[in-house]
Amino acid sequence: MTVSRISTTEPRKEHRFLVNEAVARLALRTAGTYLPLDRDDRPYQWSTTTYCDTADWKVLRAEKTGHATQLRLREYHRTRPNEAFVGETLFLEMKDDRPELGMKERYVVPTNDVMAYLRGDKKIEAAEDSLIPHMTALVKAGVRPVVVTQYNRIAYSSPDGTVRITADHNLMYLAIPWQANTDDAIPCRIGPVIEREPGVIIEVKWFDDLPHWADELYSYIRDHMVNERPSKYVVAMRHLLGDQELIA
Amino acid sequence: MTLPQINPVKPPTNVVVVEDDPASADVLQRRLQANGMLVSVGRDGSEGLALVKKIVPDLVLLDVMLPDTDGYDVCLRIKSDGNTAHIPVIFLSARGEVVDKVRGLSCGAADYVTKPWNAAELLARIDAVLAQARSARAPRLERPTVRPARQRPTVALALSDGARRHRAQTLLASSFDVIEEGGQPADLVLVDAGGMVPEELADDETAVLEIVGDGVAPGPEAARLDESLVRDAGLLVRERRINRDLDAAADALITLATALESHDRSTMGHSERVAARAVAIAQVLGLDEQAIRTIRLGALLRDIGNAKLPPALVQRHGELTPAERELVASHPIHGEQILRGLQPLRAILPIVRWHHERLDGKGYPDALRAEQLPLEVRVVTVADRFEALLVDRADRARVSEPQAVRILQSAVAQGELDPAVVAALAAQVRSMEAAR
Repeated sequence: MTVSRISTTEPRKEHRFLVNEAVARLALRTAGTYLPLDRDDRPYQWSTTTYCDTADWKVLRAEKTGHATQLRLREYHRTRPNEAFVGETLFLEMKDDRPELGMKERYVVPTNDVMAYLRGDKKIEAAEDSLIPHMTALVKAGVRPVVVTQYNRIAYSSPDGTVRITADHNLMYLAIPWQANTDDAIPCRIGPVIEREPGVIIEVKWFDDLPHWADELYSYIRDHMVNERPSKYVVAMRHLLGDQELIA
Repeated sequence: MTLPQINPVKPPTNVVVVEDDPASADVLQRRLQANGMLVSVGRDGSEGLALVKKIVPDLVLLDVMLPDTDGYDVCLRIKSDGNTAHIPVIFLSARGEVVDKVRGLSCGAADYVTKPWNAAELLARIDAVLAQARSARAPRLERPTVRPARQRPTVALALSDGARRHRAQTLLASSFDVIEEGGQPADLVLVDAGGMVPEELADDETAVLEIVGDGVAPGPEAARLDESLVRDAGLLVRERRINRDLDAAADALITLATALESHDRSTMGHSERVAARAVAIAQVLGLDEQAIRTIRLGALLRDIGNAKLPPALVQRHGELTPAERELVASHPIHGEQILRGLQPLRAILPIVRWHHERLDGKGYPDALRAEQLPLEVRVVTVADRFEALLVDRADRARVSEPQAVRILQSAVAQGELDPAVVAALAAQVRSMEAAR
């Protein structure tokens, strides 16, 4: 099986909010009035995302400066698995995370090759303006899986992809035992739940300007949110490491 | 000969109902009780979860809309706990939209029934879910009984055919005592291929040998009903006895290690505490029984190498000279040397040698890095460091458990310890605090 790039680099705005169930239901009803369910996301399927970082936490340190490139491995399941890397293929994703502008690339790779990519034995060919050089730098620094998130997502997305509104229920952060980047580490047992979100995470992502209805919904969510959230990786690591001032 | 019969009286089905509406709960409870089930009712998510953890029921019936949380959350918590994950959950909810059902099933529920429920349909679904759950699980064994020491091993013949029983008895009579009545576990039980073992004839130490037909190749725990049976049965029982003897040998070593430790008042009981903590962490991590056994034994014997150091040095409380530090740092190597000759304790040698290693390669004695350290070693390292923080030492005062967790999280941030193992420790400490 060959690696295939299925999403091009896409600068877009992205905001995340923690809201209660009532606000989430209203937001989803509104989104559902204007947008179709995303055809690629089965409603409430489980997303398992394994985030990678180096032994000296290069990605986390970069997140604290406001600009990081995350390297993560994403899988989708009908029921929640206890292991990561269980399907035939998964999405290897690079996400350039900035406050107002995000870029993301994802590649379908055979699951059995994941550790070879993390070791640097296999490489993805870089297209122009690709995030691959960021991944290469992380691989050289010894990147490995460090934490996992799992949640049920329902996603509404405009047909042209310019607006996407998602709600993540049952979001939990899980530890993953330090794995050698060897092929034997597949599948990889996920560790204990380190924290669970009490509410629903709504994400609003868009290019250019939001349409009027979405702008109003966005304002409503902001007015009724519990709080605005940093990336799931940052929250996960906060729970994993405690309030560490050591990583600055 | 009369074979003991399996007790035909099934234990009642234990059900926990989590339902906040008293009238609905009452109707449901009566209906289930009328069908021979033992029912406990939780009025909200917290109460329901507490009941599930306490009772470990056969089934949970769960409302979606609860006063303190929602049923999805309760279901996920049940499914996230290793002790309760196997319990099937059926949602009972007035929310009947497809997305609600999909969400419920995504959370790990076995079924989703919409209210108002029909009693016949609900009971049929409960039966189906229970049947599926039971078939997926190994039968529960009774608490093991202490057996009297015997010269000759015992065998029970749970074979359905009288002629086969007689043949087996004749073949084994020279080496085994045949148990003819139930009531005590045997060293060996012979069963038909694919047959069940009567619970009253077996415990955790019983070996089971399947008798296969002539055309079938016997495996490691299967044999033919011919002259080779005596040899196969004897080997299997001897293997079990050797394992028991090894346990006894390990116990003797633990006694020795504990005796050594007792000379140093500051560490008395430390190994037991480390072992208990390491086992608790391993359980949170979901490690299998074999790994947990290795971890416990390794934690108990990890410092046995101190026996080769000068007693005055081991008991020293003040600051050590560099030469003395080097000597103390050699105890993992001595420990491995002491135990190396005991082949069956091979599995714990990495723990004994490497429990002072760090993921960043700055530990001792071999300065190994993370990828070279087995998970079992990392578990014992974390338990050892955690327990050490909870007691006063000459150079520092003890800290509370939450403070100790924070200190170990700092060590994770510095790249010394495994994040998942420390996360498991934190979860275990939180869980113990919540239970107090």
